[in-house]
Amino acid sequence: MKIKLVAHTPGVEAMVATSMLTTTSGSLPSRIHDRLVDSPEKVGEIVSRLEVQHGNVLEHNRLIWVVEATGDEVLEAMLDTRFLHFTRLGDDRWLMSGNLRTVVEYAQSKGSAFTRELAGSVRDLAPMVHMFMRRGHT
Amino acid sequence: MRARLLAYTPIASLAGCRGELTLRELLPHMGYTFAVEKISRVCSHQLVRHRVASFSQQSQRYIKVKRLSERVVTPPSVEATGEPVFLEFVEKASEAYQLLVDQGVPKEDARFVLPNAAETSLLMTMDGRSLFHFFGLRCCNRAQWEIRALADAMLGEARTAEPEVFREAGPYCYQLGYCPEGRFTCGRMQEAVEKYRA
Repeated sequence: MKIKLVAHTPGVEAMVATSMLTTTSGSLPSRIHDRLVDSPEKVGEIVSRLEVQHGNVLEHNRLIWVVEATGDEVLEAMLDTRFLHFTRLGDDRWLMSGNLRTVVEYAQSKGSAFTRELAGSVRDLAPMVHMFMRRGHT
Repeated sequence: MRARLLAYTPIASLAGCRGELTLRELLPHMGYTFAVEKISRVCSHQLVRHRVASFSQQSQRYIKVKRLSERVVTPPSVEATGEPVFLEFVEKASEAYQLLVDQGVPKEDARFVLPNAAETSLLMTMDGRSLFHFFGLRCCNRAQWEIRALADAMLGEARTAEPEVFREAGPYCYQLGYCPEGRFTCGRMQEAVEKYRA
């Protein structure tokens, strides 16, 4: 099973931080987002408090992969988590999408080559969350 | 009330798949995150019935409600009466809330006296297919006025960002070419179709 991240919503961790502050700060979400979107240090500081938050703050993004896998391998992933969406592209090629929460929870619930590759695919777009996953937090 | 599209997966980012999949097949893979601001709790209750979406809403458990009478949504039908009872009730609710908080009642319990008119703001994320369904139901003339106004504002944002994707989005009569509301139809399908075509 091979996966390649081909698209995602921009500013994934800035949106995680926006979501965290929306629930607790009283500021308007668009203002919070505008303040954070160009401030990676502030985003990092907020996301570092992630472990005490609900998982729903990880849902405001969309990640899209092209997957090379057999039908049985895709069925196994679909049975493991109902939050990944698949569309067949061709023989053993699939378009797969989901959000960061699905990646985190799937990777934490099952240690397989696929979940490790899935977790690794978000390293660059969500470095703090990826670090937490490796440490076993969130 | 305000809606702003904060982030989305541009259809152009999946250009490599356009030859293999139609736009409709790509929609479930696309994601759209909106800031939805200054709506009533009535409206947010209706929003969360779209349960495939993701929500992060201002929490009355953590955020103290201040100046409630300045932060309520008043329905136009209530305003039209000129009747003061609505704001009088809001003032009473505000006083009761403040009194309870001052007496040490946690915000999570004091909020039980707050009205549905209280303003709230939230983040909402939906995939493209669910967003088409949301517009189909909530842009409809039969939808309640506040969520219909919100759906129209969201559709405006989506069409500005991705005109090719959302050109055919709107109430179901516009999407389908017929009204699926049966005997509950508003009877103004042509008017609705022309509005969303424009």
